[in-house]
Amino acid sequence: MLKVDNLTKQYGDFTAVDGACFEAGDGKVFGLLGPNGAGKSTAINCISGLLAPTSGHISVSGFDIVRDGKKAKATLGVVPQELALYEDLPALDNLNYWGKAYGLRGAELDARVREVLDYIGLADRAKDLPKEFSGGMKRRLNFGCGIVHKPKVLLLDEPTVGVDPQSRARLFEMVEAERDAGACILYTTHYMEEAERLCDSLAIIDHGKIIAHGSVDQLKAQVGARDVLQLSGRFPDGLAATIADRGIADLDVLTDESNVLTLTMTTASHHLPAIFEAITAAGGSVSETSLRSPNLETLFLLLTGKELRE
Amino acid sequence: MDFIVATFRKDLTRWREDAHALIIWLAIPFLIGGLITAMAGGSGGSGPSGTLLIDDRDDTLISGFVAGAFAQDQIGDMLTVQNVGAEEGKQLIDAGEASGLLTIPEGFQDAFINDTPVVLTLKTNPAQTILPGIIENVTEVLLDAGFYLQALFGEEIAAIQGVDDEAGPSNAFVSSMSVQVNDKMQALGPALFPLAFDIEIVEPPPAEPRPDIGLLFLPGIVMMALLFSSQGLSADFWKERETGTLRRLVSSPGLLNQFVFGKALAATLVIAGISGITLAVGFLYHGIAWSKFLPSMLWLIFAGAGFFAWFAALQMLFPTQKAANLLSTIFLFPLMMMGGSFFPLAALPDWLASVGRMSPNGFVVDKLTDELVSANAWSFDIRSWTIVAAIMLSGLLLCSWRLKSGFARR
Ligand SMILES: Nc1ncnc2c1ncn2[C@@H]1O[C@H](COP(=O)(O)OP(=O)(O)O)[C@@H](O)[C@H]1O
Ligand SMILES: [Mg+2]
Repeated sequence: MLKVDNLTKQYGDFTAVDGACFEAGDGKVFGLLGPNGAGKSTAINCISGLLAPTSGHISVSGFDIVRDGKKAKATLGVVPQELALYEDLPALDNLNYWGKAYGLRGAELDARVREVLDYIGLADRAKDLPKEFSGGMKRRLNFGCGIVHKPKVLLLDEPTVGVDPQSRARLFEMVEAERDAGACILYTTHYMEEAERLCDSLAIIDHGKIIAHGSVDQLKAQVGARDVLQLSGRFPDGLAATIADRGIADLDVLTDESNVLTLTMTTASHHLPAIFEAITAAGGSVSETSLRSPNLETLFLLLTGKELRE
Repeated sequence: MDFIVATFRKDLTRWREDAHALIIWLAIPFLIGGLITAMAGGSGGSGPSGTLLIDDRDDTLISGFVAGAFAQDQIGDMLTVQNVGAEEGKQLIDAGEASGLLTIPEGFQDAFINDTPVVLTLKTNPAQTILPGIIENVTEVLLDAGFYLQALFGEEIAAIQGVDDEAGPSNAFVSSMSVQVNDKMQALGPALFPLAFDIEIVEPPPAEPRPDIGLLFLPGIVMMALLFSSQGLSADFWKERETGTLRRLVSSPGLLNQFVFGKALAATLVIAGISGITLAVGFLYHGIAWSKFLPSMLWLIFAGAGFFAWFAALQMLFPTQKAANLLSTIFLFPLMMMGGSFFPLAALPDWLASVGRMSPNGFVVDKLTDELVSANAWSFDIRSWTIVAAIMLSGLLLCSWRLKSGFARR
């Protein structure tokens, strides 16, 4: 169980996380989806006790991270966004050391380390130094270090950044396995596909604020059945208003600039001829068209007027 | 407790990968030690050697005896006597190319015979300690010997003096004189005449073995190895911060105090190993009693842990790893210079030596020098040991505090 209640973190005058509230249950993956700089890592660092929140409360497995830090941390596993490995210590020893930091000992530790090595696919490289590993292997070891002690709450901060497709698939399997074993997982990412594939529920975060919240289906419903139509070209002033006058159902204008026009509507494909006609009539021209069916990315676009990945 | 051991083993394993650093920490002190030994004459156990310049302006029989005395026996082994003119002598001694310049003034023999005051000037080389001291002693002894000689043979010397130079002494006079001298010599023992220039009989030198100059350098060189290794290893907190493992540690329930202690323990082992090798080679070379080795090691272990912790704590106060490393390296050399790693404290001007003894490394070097040079067993004085223990503990506490006060979180 992880509860984040009204979490705010300020760096000086700058508010990196602004009143975030969410809850993640055991055996579930909770996603925090947002662009770079949204405040995901800051939130994770507050939860893991690395940063002191400016205000708000965080409870990990029922323990307050600030007041009851040691107990909270004992149940917590962290896979940080930036690798945190001893590159000059064999993979096996890395796992061993972090196991000991969490109080594992003796035969139990040995067995668990062997298990994790198999699990992260590094059993045959156990004696090798991480500095000789590929990026994907390091990511997997980084993951392994966060789960040696079978944490009840697992924080994963963009674990797939810079990872080859094979390692990425392996990482997904591992996250799902941890979930199936009953862990409560907080997963941050700026990839919509990852959030859709892994998360039972998620929050969309931008500029430190949670702007949408719910299960993947609920969030998709928020987008409605509306498609997003993005047109590039040359558009005269007042064109958006002209198109809106055409009486297309559910039409919304997201961006209206001289070279980009973003519209959302139900079954956009039906309305394309009318829209093009209006543009031509107004003396504009279209050089590029993109039509996207509803997903989390278009939801983000709907909510913020900008792309998730810039 | 388990986590201390885990951290200790983890760091030792990691540092094994960095063996070339260890070799450098050993190599520099050995190189410098070797150079110093070579400069000190390279004759190891046989003691220091140097040059005594004698500017004999009197150029008489008696003044010749003085010069000759320095060529005798053990002194002769240590000193090469070189006769120089006034100008040449001044140049050589000012250039630091000799241990001392002894000027025998004109009229020395006359003054000696007439028992009137005479001043021999001895100018010594401030960069050397032992040899000038020996020269000073010998000169004093010679003058004392001269006093005895004068007291014993005053009459006879006066008689020789009284003889008309042109005519020379008559045969009868010479033979009566020799009989008189012979009688006194017989009465006082055959050793008497050489006695005049034999220091040991006139004033026996202190029984304690004379410290050789290389031995005075040894503690400073061992300290150099200790400083290099402790400063080098102290950067490890910064390394761990850069690799993100400190952050992982903070988000784990592993205790920071135990982490600091485990790392300090591993560092101390490496530092003790490196300074221990340097010390052991010094013990072998200078033939120091091995009974002093363990207390010396214990002293170095306390000091090594202390230096490691303080270097680490200070480095953690800097905003970047580069700045930390650069500044602590820059700091290292004046510290070594002042604390007797390049010149023994005893060779520094008094005011500088007393400042040097107040530097932490100078303090450690000073005590180690006293103990190694002394003929007695180690004296475990409470004051010194309390001071090193306090340096060590305060450094470790400071490290812990700095880790908790935010260094580990960035
Ligand atoms: N130590 C810091 N001091 C000041 N600003 C910071 C600090 N760390 C992060 N920020 C700022 O806070 C915002 C959120 O950063 P972060 O939580 O890393 O975002 P994300 O992980 O979602 O990419 C960014 O604008 C970033 O520049
Ligand atoms: Mg981030």
